[in-house]
Amino acid sequence: MTAASDGGAPTASPSALGPTRDRRGSPIPTFSMIATRFMELRRRRGLMITLVLVTIGFPTVFLAIRLLLHAVAPKTYGPAGGYDIYTAMSAGVLYTFGFIVAATLGCTAGSVDLAEGMFRHLVITGRSRLALYLARIPAGLAIIGSLVAIGFAIVCAVCVYAAPSKLSYNGVTVPAGLSQSGLQTWAADNAATVVCNFSYDGSIAGNVGCDNRPGQPPSVVTQGPTGQLVPASASQAKAAATQIAQQDYQQYKRQFRYPSNSLMIKTGLWLELEATVGFIVGLGLGSLLGQRTTAVILMIVLEVILTPIAVRSRIPHFINAQRGIVGVATGHLEPGQLPLAFGGGGRDYRLTESTTTAICVILAWLIGWTILGSWRMMTRDA
Amino acid sequence: MKSTDVVASPEQHGGDGSLAVETRGLAKRFGANVAINGVDLLIPRGCAFGYLGPNGAGKTTLIRVLLGLTRADAGTMSLLGHPVPKHRDVALARVGAIVDEPRFHGHLTGRQNLQVLAAAREPAARSRIDASLERVGMLQRADDRVSKYSMGMRQRLGVAACLIGDPELLILDEPMNGLDPAGMHDMRDMIRSLVAEGRTVVLSSHLLDEVQRTCDAVAIVDRGNIIRQGPIPELLAGTSLTLQVDCSEPDRARSLISSTNLAATTIDVEGDGLAITLPAGTSRDVFAEVARVLVTGGIAVYRLEPVQASLESWFLQVTSRLGDTA
Repeated sequence: MTAASDGGAPTASPSALGPTRDRRGSPIPTFSMIATRFMELRRRRGLMITLVLVTIGFPTVFLAIRLLLHAVAPKTYGPAGGYDIYTAMSAGVLYTFGFIVAATLGCTAGSVDLAEGMFRHLVITGRSRLALYLARIPAGLAIIGSLVAIGFAIVCAVCVYAAPSKLSYNGVTVPAGLSQSGLQTWAADNAATVVCNFSYDGSIAGNVGCDNRPGQPPSVVTQGPTGQLVPASASQAKAAATQIAQQDYQQYKRQFRYPSNSLMIKTGLWLELEATVGFIVGLGLGSLLGQRTTAVILMIVLEVILTPIAVRSRIPHFINAQRGIVGVATGHLEPGQLPLAFGGGGRDYRLTESTTTAICVILAWLIGWTILGSWRMMTRDA
Repeated sequence: MKSTDVVASPEQHGGDGSLAVETRGLAKRFGANVAINGVDLLIPRGCAFGYLGPNGAGKTTLIRVLLGLTRADAGTMSLLGHPVPKHRDVALARVGAIVDEPRFHGHLTGRQNLQVLAAAREPAARSRIDASLERVGMLQRADDRVSKYSMGMRQRLGVAACLIGDPELLILDEPMNGLDPAGMHDMRDMIRSLVAEGRTVVLSSHLLDEVQRTCDAVAIVDRGNIIRQGPIPELLAGTSLTLQVDCSEPDRARSLISSTNLAATTIDVEGDGLAITLPAGTSRDVFAEVARVLVTGGIAVYRLEPVQASLESWFLQVTSRLGDTA
């Protein structure tokens, strides 16, 4: 330490610098505050490695392996892209893990100043505590938004550039982009394939079905007069295939060889929305509790346990509360061509609710947790 | 206030900004525990002010209340003439403080931590980072992670964090903790240089010797009350004086002194001499009279030295008296 004045600003005599010039009582954070908060979060090496691994590493490694396998043995391993891969990576991996990593980052941003003793230094600057809280939001969103965007961009790139040349529906190669009548015509021409491979809910007229015994080629059969299986006539088979195609068209229509630009944009925005919700709620919860571990655990429980239960079940007298869960609301905003984010075996278990309700629920969570987190920060002893 | 004010009585001050810190009837309790009990504290600008007290006396709580880290239950206060918490942002703009052990983000370097803090201050604060680091002797280690810093280095970084705001008032809570002797010497010099620049430094410390060497005035707090307050020379002037006498035949010397009408409070035999406690304000003629009595009585006097009570002994005297009456 040097006692003598060194010529720098701190050694000068107390100046008459107007303290009001920097408006530190304002609740609006400065760009500099946001930038340094961004730096503080970005330099958490362990946390950042984890976030990058989950949001970018997992999809990259998975898709790289599929690309490699397809390149080595194209007949055994299908293309790396396609409908199933795109939907699994976006509505499965990036949706769920994106929320969890965003929540982890939010809980970290909301609690570390207190845990690491910096909160006191920051409060002593005289800066508005609300501004200190709000500075974390753009800083954290810049990080998590970028990571999710990069991970999703990789998925999109692989699904577009390594797309299959034909559409695979229920394991059957089907021409892509058929109209309903086109699909029915195609089904009539490939009756045995359709009857034996396409899923159908209900009973087919004429009791037509598939005889798929081992060692024999699959064939279309029906019940004879004495109950035994007999080969169906060509007209019976065509009628059955047309009936199945008619029912399957809605499901077929959603499938694609590669995602359209519109779907990719919608999916990207939906994933960013989910990550934003995860971060803001995590930030508020972390600030409220003042410590990270418990907050992260609670956020994981919300995403992995509570939300799937709320999406799939109908609890009497509790439906509106279920609709109030943010995961149910974000699930409602899922792009139409994607399967249910929380699984469901092809069925859509989602609670019925209006889009307006879903948006209101999401806004309520974002605003509510921001108020709670900032309130705790403003009233907490430092 | 129960003792001498540093400058004047509270009634003479109307919050005109001549005081760096002013509190009136400040109170804070945690449940049934009274941490601050109606404290009136006046700290003038441009001095080094020691804030002393036993553990749990309420020193850190008062600092936390002043800085807005926790809310007061009653009373008023102002920093640099600005009422707090009403104009807290304006007041704290010119205040730097270390409260308890300075802690920072361990994964960031010292410089990056200061950047985070400078961003929350005025725009010019960022330009003061290097000068602040240099002033506390941390420029060479500024780009190391704080997790690798020693306690003393974190203390220095804490002071640097105070300086980036170009403060008029620095409040340092135990700034000597973790510093080696050279570091303590540097810190003392730096505090004096800050005061020489016209800044006010409030120093809370247990190291009374350091406080006595560094500060112009002190306040002693105990059980939430300020029990003494004033310039150090004035406070010590009211304390007793000890006359250390090295002589032959200490027992006979004690008898000789006792037989005189000298106003000695106590006369103790200590090793090869006597320790004669005299009332405050005893004149030098009394020392000469002691020497004359002993020499006349045939006792060889090798050394005779008046010793003024130190801040530490005075502090112990004051606080132990309180303990006796409790």
